[in-house]
Amino acid sequence: MSPDISHNWKASINRFMYAFSGSKRIDRVPFFALAMEQMITRIVGISVRTLFSSPKIYANAAIMANEYLHTDVVALPTCYAGPVEGVAFAETNDRKQAIKWFDYRAIFIDQGIICKTDEDIEKLKIPDHSQSKLWNLTFDAAKMVYEKTGFPQVAGLGIWSVVQQLRGVQAFRDMRENPEILLTLCEKVYESQMDLYRNWLDHVGISPFIFYPGYAFNRTMMSFQDAMKFEGQFIRRLQKDTGVPFLLHNCGMDPYFKEVCSEIDFVGVNGSHPLDINYWIDFKKNFPKVTIMGATIDVNRELLTGTPEDVENKVKENILNLAPGGRYMVSPICELPWNVPLPNILAISNAIEKYGIYPIQEAP
Amino acid sequence: MQSDEILTNLKESIVKGNKEAAAEHTTRAIEAGIDFTLILEAGIIRATEEVGKLYEQMEYYLPDLLIAADAMIAAMDILKPHLKAIFDEKLKGTILIGAVEGDMHSIGKNLVITLLEGQGFEVVDLGTDVPPIKFVEKAKEIHPDVIGLSGLLTTSITTMRDTVLQLREENIDSKIIIGGGILSKEACEMIGADDYATDGWAGLYKIKEFIESKYKGV
Repeated sequence: MSPDISHNWKASINRFMYAFSGSKRIDRVPFFALAMEQMITRIVGISVRTLFSSPKIYANAAIMANEYLHTDVVALPTCYAGPVEGVAFAETNDRKQAIKWFDYRAIFIDQGIICKTDEDIEKLKIPDHSQSKLWNLTFDAAKMVYEKTGFPQVAGLGIWSVVQQLRGVQAFRDMRENPEILLTLCEKVYESQMDLYRNWLDHVGISPFIFYPGYAFNRTMMSFQDAMKFEGQFIRRLQKDTGVPFLLHNCGMDPYFKEVCSEIDFVGVNGSHPLDINYWIDFKKNFPKVTIMGATIDVNRELLTGTPEDVENKVKENILNLAPGGRYMVSPICELPWNVPLPNILAISNAIEKYGIYPIQEAP
Repeated sequence: MQSDEILTNLKESIVKGNKEAAAEHTTRAIEAGIDFTLILEAGIIRATEEVGKLYEQMEYYLPDLLIAADAMIAAMDILKPHLKAIFDEKLKGTILIGAVEGDMHSIGKNLVITLLEGQGFEVVDLGTDVPPIKFVEKAKEIHPDVIGLSGLLTTSITTMRDTVLQLREENIDSKIIIGGGILSKEACEMIGADDYATDGWAGLYKIKEFIESKYKGV
């Protein structure tokens, strides 16, 4: 299992960095994809158990899958603070029954088991990430990916994504009936995220980009005021305490991208809604320093049910409207499911080669 | 206290998500001799409609929906034994629901269940990470009017399709409604479900509309 040596990772990393800085030296639009457990195991032909059996297998399989898909970034599947943080909390607090493993898909946590009662929250112990097997595997794999590709990895910190794993639906009731207990939980998750970040630095040796799954920032979940109270204020603290750039990910239907970017500094936003390209044209006008990663390329629409031509047209529309002037990456949101036809995924890189070489003329 | 005032108080306590007050006003309405169907329609169902309107106008969000639904259930728990004498329970419909295999997200599913129970529907919850065969077995046992397949993950579309295929292969003729923010008309067609809903509120309306039309005139 050795990576494809024809892939020029140095050029990919430059592309990625130039997109964020808005540099005129960028040669083409970068391709950022979330190829996670389902896609990696499918492409490489191994189960999740084998994937996670050693950092070397994990790192090489992730690199290989991304090279096959012609992406410019290797994002390790376990890097984000959702279920994997749930696992760390479950192990630390003797709630291993909440953990569910799958052969060919991501690990998951039965929501609301770990912090079922208010007392569970009061007594909740913060995981020591240096003792977490899964996080240590991720740290070692991240280091190998960095050594082989030069890509410093994106580490996912998150508050609400973890709160949901721990508290489940009760978290939403708490917002109205007992906000103090919910804030106590958010505070504990914040402490855990800082411990995770410190361990990342110790083990990997280089600061990552922070890929922040800001799940609270969606109208279908809560008001913007509540999102700021239970997530936003903690992002500001994480930014202050880590001092690294943050990318905001939200794969929901009705995200508060414009609202949140008016309040908090992000170098990039990773989303696929709203599906109206005019929203994103307006976003670019209002937030010229924020890199758009995605826009209207949704994994459950053209990619899943369309043809390669449909995908090409969608990517073309996004590139011609958002890539001129830089600060744009093509990105299907969110995780690529295993049943997205491979010709459709490969149509993305073909479309980038066709329409995404700089200089790019603006759409009429 | 006048009947109108009691019913208004009941409605408002549900809209505000006050469980204790909702239970108290329901008891008061029964003790005042108000017709049970009037308590249901002018108190509880009217409150549901108002909450739905506030949600659509973006004055209410998921937390407000949940606590209003809890208050609705508190009121229904008191009223239900009295309604049973009037209605044949079967007319209200049975819904079998679960999050599909591989998906551990329960928030959307639990919201729909709370809303459906608040309307008096019988709901059988299979939980999360439910394999297709479990849906098939339970459907054969209880013959639900509607089967609700829930999922939040982008990857759940595949499992939803597998589940629908198995249900149809086993000749289960219940209406299948899929629910989740990931869904679209195209995805629904690919999955082969009868209908889809992208949030809990839409799910409630679609199920309610179907069951009401199914039993109309029965």
